[in-house]
Amino acid sequence: MPSSPRYVSLARLVVSAVARGLDFSEESIDDLKVVVSEMCTNAIIHCEPRREDQRIQLICRPRPGALTVEVKDSGQGFDPSCVGTFEDGLAAGKGFGIPLIRSLVDEFELETDEGKGTVVRITKYDRGTHLPA
Amino acid sequence: MVDPNSQQTVLNVDYSRVGDYLVIELEGEVDVYTAGKLRDAIKEKVEEGEYRIAVNLSKVAFLDSTGLGVLVGGLKRVNPYEGELTIICDNEKILRIFRITGLEKIFTIYPDARDLAGTQAGD
Repeated sequence: MPSSPRYVSLARLVVSAVARGLDFSEESIDDLKVVVSEMCTNAIIHCEPRREDQRIQLICRPRPGALTVEVKDSGQGFDPSCVGTFEDGLAAGKGFGIPLIRSLVDEFELETDEGKGTVVRITKYDRGTHLPA
Repeated sequence: MVDPNSQQTVLNVDYSRVGDYLVIELEGEVDVYTAGKLRDAIKEKVEEGEYRIAVNLSKVAFLDSTGLGVLVGGLKRVNPYEGELTIICDNEKILRIFRITGLEKIFTIYPDARDLAGTQAGD
């Protein structure tokens, strides 16, 4: 989808529809909407250079009781050691996005390298689903 | 909330007054696309001399960290004037985001706008 703020709500609609199709609970769906919003927002606002033709990829991989969502951008990447905590966010008044994602999902992966874009991948298990051993 | 003509997420901003507070009434979704409207509303009202501001999130269906950042920014705008930026919200979906991020410790949150009427400057 285009790397534009106007499409973030569309990403939320898509992921919530997929999660609803998996019979996820409403709370899990609400969590996923926040998570996808954060993932797409980060991809859009941190994607440099910002051009109208930039695109980000949203990939949903559903399976019974679990949904993996991936957001990829082709931006400049960033130094992952810069990602802070909620306490850092409270002090700075911003930067809550990745800590919020991590607190709402069961698995979180971040692949980034300066000059090579970024992939953020999360997995959410629905409440009541047993986690794999 | 989606505009049926453009199918675009919208955020409606309106204003009311409760006691000493200027209430910014929001309806819709607050994300990276719409948060600027809230930011501009807070900035405008502070520039007009309103330093006791309440933001009513009761009709907000969605709020992410972009919205939280705008609210924190608003708090920083009124602080130099010994002002307040208070939240009105009874929506558990939104309140949960404040709790998870720790912002429930930073903001005073009332469940209803009528709760503002009983407060006075310095409370």
